[in-house]
Amino acid sequence: MAEGTRTVLDMRGIEKRFGDVKALDNVGFDLIAGEIHALLGVNGAGKSTLIKILSGVYTKDEGRITIGGKVFDLGSPRAAIEAGIAVVQQHPELVGDLSGAENIFLGHESSRRGLFSRIDRSDLATRANALLARFPIDVDLSRRVADMPAVDREIVAILHALRLENARILILDEPTSTLTEREKASLFSMMRMLKAAGIAIIYITHRLEEVYEIADRFTVFRGGRNVACHTVTEARTTGMSIPNLMLGTGGGLTFPPRCSRINGDAVLEVSGLSCDGMFRDVTFTARKGEILGIFGLVGSGVDELSKALFGVFRPDRGEMRLHGRPVSLRSPAQALRSGIFLVPGDRRTEGLTLNENVIFNTTVANLGRASFGGLLRFGANRRNARALAEKVDLQPMRLDRSLRGFSGGNQQKVVIAKGLYRQAKVYIFVEPTVGVDIGARSKIYALMREISQDAAVIVISSDCDEVHGVADRTLALYKGAPVGGADRDMSRDHLLHAGIMGGIAA
Amino acid sequence: MITRQLGMRLLAFAALVALIGLAFWSQSAAFASGGNLRSLMRHMSVQGLAALGLTFVIVVRHFDLSFPGVASMGAMTLGWLIAAGMPLPVAIGGGLAVGLAFGLVNGFAIARLGLPDIVTTIATGGLAIGFSYFYSNGTSISQNFFMSGILDLNDRKILGLDMPFAILMGTALMGAILLHASRLGAGFYATGENPVSARFSGVPTRLLIVLAFALSGMMACLAITLLVASSGAANVTAGNQLLMPAFAAVYLGAALFGRPSIGATLAGTLLMSMMLNGFTLLAIPYYYSDAIVSTVLITAIAIFDPRVSALLRGAVRRKGASA
Amino acid sequence: MTDIISTAPRIRQGHNSREVLMRYAFFLLVLVVFVTFAILRPTFVTPGNIHGMLMSASIAGLMFLGLTWLIAAGEIDVSFMSVAALSNMVVAGLVVDGAGWGVAVLGGLGAGVVFGLLNATLVAVLRLPALVITIATGALAASVAAAIGQGTSIALSHTGFVGDLLGLRVGVLPLIAVIVGALYAASWFVQERLVFGHYIYAMEQNRAAVVEAGVPVNRMLFLLFVLSGVVSSFAGVLLAANLSSGQPYLGTSYFLDGLTAVLLGGMALKLGKPNVIGTLTATIFLIGLLNGAALLGWTDSERQIVRGSLLLIGVGLVVFARTRRKA
Repeated sequence: MAEGTRTVLDMRGIEKRFGDVKALDNVGFDLIAGEIHALLGVNGAGKSTLIKILSGVYTKDEGRITIGGKVFDLGSPRAAIEAGIAVVQQHPELVGDLSGAENIFLGHESSRRGLFSRIDRSDLATRANALLARFPIDVDLSRRVADMPAVDREIVAILHALRLENARILILDEPTSTLTEREKASLFSMMRMLKAAGIAIIYITHRLEEVYEIADRFTVFRGGRNVACHTVTEARTTGMSIPNLMLGTGGGLTFPPRCSRINGDAVLEVSGLSCDGMFRDVTFTARKGEILGIFGLVGSGVDELSKALFGVFRPDRGEMRLHGRPVSLRSPAQALRSGIFLVPGDRRTEGLTLNENVIFNTTVANLGRASFGGLLRFGANRRNARALAEKVDLQPMRLDRSLRGFSGGNQQKVVIAKGLYRQAKVYIFVEPTVGVDIGARSKIYALMREISQDAAVIVISSDCDEVHGVADRTLALYKGAPVGGADRDMSRDHLLHAGIMGGIAA
Repeated sequence: MITRQLGMRLLAFAALVALIGLAFWSQSAAFASGGNLRSLMRHMSVQGLAALGLTFVIVVRHFDLSFPGVASMGAMTLGWLIAAGMPLPVAIGGGLAVGLAFGLVNGFAIARLGLPDIVTTIATGGLAIGFSYFYSNGTSISQNFFMSGILDLNDRKILGLDMPFAILMGTALMGAILLHASRLGAGFYATGENPVSARFSGVPTRLLIVLAFALSGMMACLAITLLVASSGAANVTAGNQLLMPAFAAVYLGAALFGRPSIGATLAGTLLMSMMLNGFTLLAIPYYYSDAIVSTVLITAIAIFDPRVSALLRGAVRRKGASA
Repeated sequence: MTDIISTAPRIRQGHNSREVLMRYAFFLLVLVVFVTFAILRPTFVTPGNIHGMLMSASIAGLMFLGLTWLIAAGEIDVSFMSVAALSNMVVAGLVVDGAGWGVAVLGGLGAGVVFGLLNATLVAVLRLPALVITIATGALAASVAAAIGQGTSIALSHTGFVGDLLGLRVGVLPLIAVIVGALYAASWFVQERLVFGHYIYAMEQNRAAVVEAGVPVNRMLFLLFVLSGVVSSFAGVLLAANLSSGQPYLGTSYFLDGLTAVLLGGMALKLGKPNVIGTLTATIFLIGLLNGAALLGWTDSERQIVRGSLLLIGVGLVVFARTRRKA
């Protein structure tokens, strides 16, 4: 880095053990005032442990933390806040009925302490204005948070974290996961502004392209160690592979080969499908033997489209045909009976019963097949679950363990196992690899390819590279409207342009 | 691993049963007499049936506070039908139909209309109590009871078991098959744990919630039928004594066995009934029984709650560390 | 930069006329119903009847104050009426045993404090489920109440200074109504102007956010449960003098009314959120309704059905208002 830079945070020799497992092993990390520092690593690499130590949730076993030249212990969240560390969680907690300003100063409405002090609303407004003077952002803090767009809520959460004068380190944990591309741009401009104001930002993300876009430096974690720390310029000029750093032994993201034979039987034909206020005039044909990709940013209507195809929403207009016969879906149960399976975008709330084990989860996916005369076939269900788990390469292979004990990637494999158990004709994958580490990703892509041998597979994602990489044919959804016919094989740049700008670049 | 854990829990339960049994037996040898054990089983039958119905509602993660009121109305309907000279099956069917109807209303209001369960069931329970006054303006009904044969429900024996206990065991067996060995049962648990994921897996969650409330209402009315049969009269406060013991049995059982289930509820009922029966035997007045039941319930929840046990373990560890 | 905050942050008080109508519709309903009763049965508005209704409403209102905030905060207490019954019996028991009214009142309030603390400890400190715990503590209180009178009520020959207090009037109003009214006014201030009230509603919406903001949520819950126990026992003490007896089973009649008052009252002013003014209005409404219905010759059964229906309507309206607001 340039001369004369000021180190705000210096962590040395940090160790953290959970039982016999070393989550952090002699880790060093440093942060310079006014930089955006991306923190990378697959799940379990140790980055969240490091963040939890910094925010005072965990206490370190060994090592030294220096902030602004002073040594800190950070034994509690309060101590971390007092040391100037501001954390914005991945899903920030806000109170919908309160205004932005009320959320920012929640817990500090009054100049006096205690539960029975008076709320000083004019003082609240003054302080909110002062905060906006320090960090000039175009946001209406008098609005009810529930009425705000997602990015404004994120901004409220960031301002909440930075409300104290002494805040100089901001930790952002995957803030873009729920934002549209446009909102992401305004978040990034806010981050640049904060940077200019001297705030050092630790930025955690799974999206590597964002690192090049916004970060100054990045640190890669692997297996509880800090394995690399470079400036983004360095990475660009030397052409190093960040995925390789994250995974270790070579092998970045590998997509399975595309299908050789196009024009299998049409399984699902959708024409002119519209859901008012969500998407309109969506037309495509999904064929057996291939993968159809639909790229769309969050808010473009892709999630709603997937749910309409699965019977959660009733479309207002348009037609769906399965094997040539028109179907009108009223419920997910009916969609499943017709042979459509959804791997939903939010597997924890929509896809899995987390407190139950693998057998229970696969069984529930097809209770008809799992029972005889209304009674469960316990032996067969266990055998089936084992076969399915082997098929999706579940790790660890523990059928009796509750799903909470599995990583994101392996939870996703269980959702896919549920789908396999359903023996559906159409599989819809929504954001299949969000929160999935790179190792499990390749397996999931391979499974999708395998499934496509016997069924139509539709991949819906806001990750352009994923859609482009895994699908044989693609289309994009922009503000609810399809761009580009599905029979074209668009280049990555075309697809990206279509999904972000709504047109196909010449 | 799982089976070992279950074994430990069973052992703990057996130890509790032995402990309570010995304690009462040491105070009064009559506790272990055949006659007393039979009256214990009778007591279990009424409480157990209501608790079994509630178990389904608790499994789908809802609450039903209406069943005592509904049971009262079921009792009055039963009594009124008997007094009107209806054949016994019709009268019993009428009582159960009341439970079914209220269960369906509760289920519809909660699963379809999205009303909050606690307050809704309190309200429908209140309504049921209001309706139960209609039949006789609040006086108890016992005309025709002797002739109708309803008393046989209490007095007859089947397979060497008293009729009420046989009914409990039969119902529990059917309940166990439904909840633990059938596809609907897996659906009940899936609905309770994560309704969205259950729906996306094709489980008819709303239907199952309605079914759970319907079972709760019907079983409460079945329980009250046995109570009416043993007391020989139907009255409007009949259901009042069901609420606490049912909740206590379900929660005590769930606490002992880690989650609500038919077996757990039966175990909870057995413990509760042993205590209530024992105290009755020791001539402790009736108005203490609720105090005992509620104290046991609070203690059970507190001891078995994971947070509390974590707290206790933490305290012990800290103590150990400082020592 | 943009100066957006200078207008008061609370600008979203009902702007459209429909929302205003919804906020005040309940008051209108009360007025219409009471006027109807007055026309049908002129005895409804005699000073004696009004005095009696205000007396009942004051005592009930006292009992429901703590419950209002507990439900507003997303918790529940179904032991309040049994705690009132227990205090009532403690007072009666002590008076009959020869203790003075002063001691008896302290005893009654003490019972409320004990049960308030018990609920507070179990729910707010140990974080046990509020519904099941308060079912159990309520049953415990009810059972102790019955035990004090060995299953029957206790008649009191004199009502001591509490009776004198209840007899006092300010103009046509019973003094106790004025006191309870003042208490509610103070509670409104706490609810609307102090951070305590602010947090109650924030807590119901997103407890994690409030906890993260460093608000001592558990301490607040603790206070709310203790408050509920204390106000309920106050009501129980007053009932001992008002009824000249200790009634071990008086709780049951207040159970539905309490929940109905809180939920129906939530429709007033705050579109579905329980609040003290709403509760007070709804309490007066319920007392008036039941009284008027009695004057019209309705049976107990019919009145019970009216109670249950009103509670259902209240819940329905709350859910309706909330889904509308979210949309």
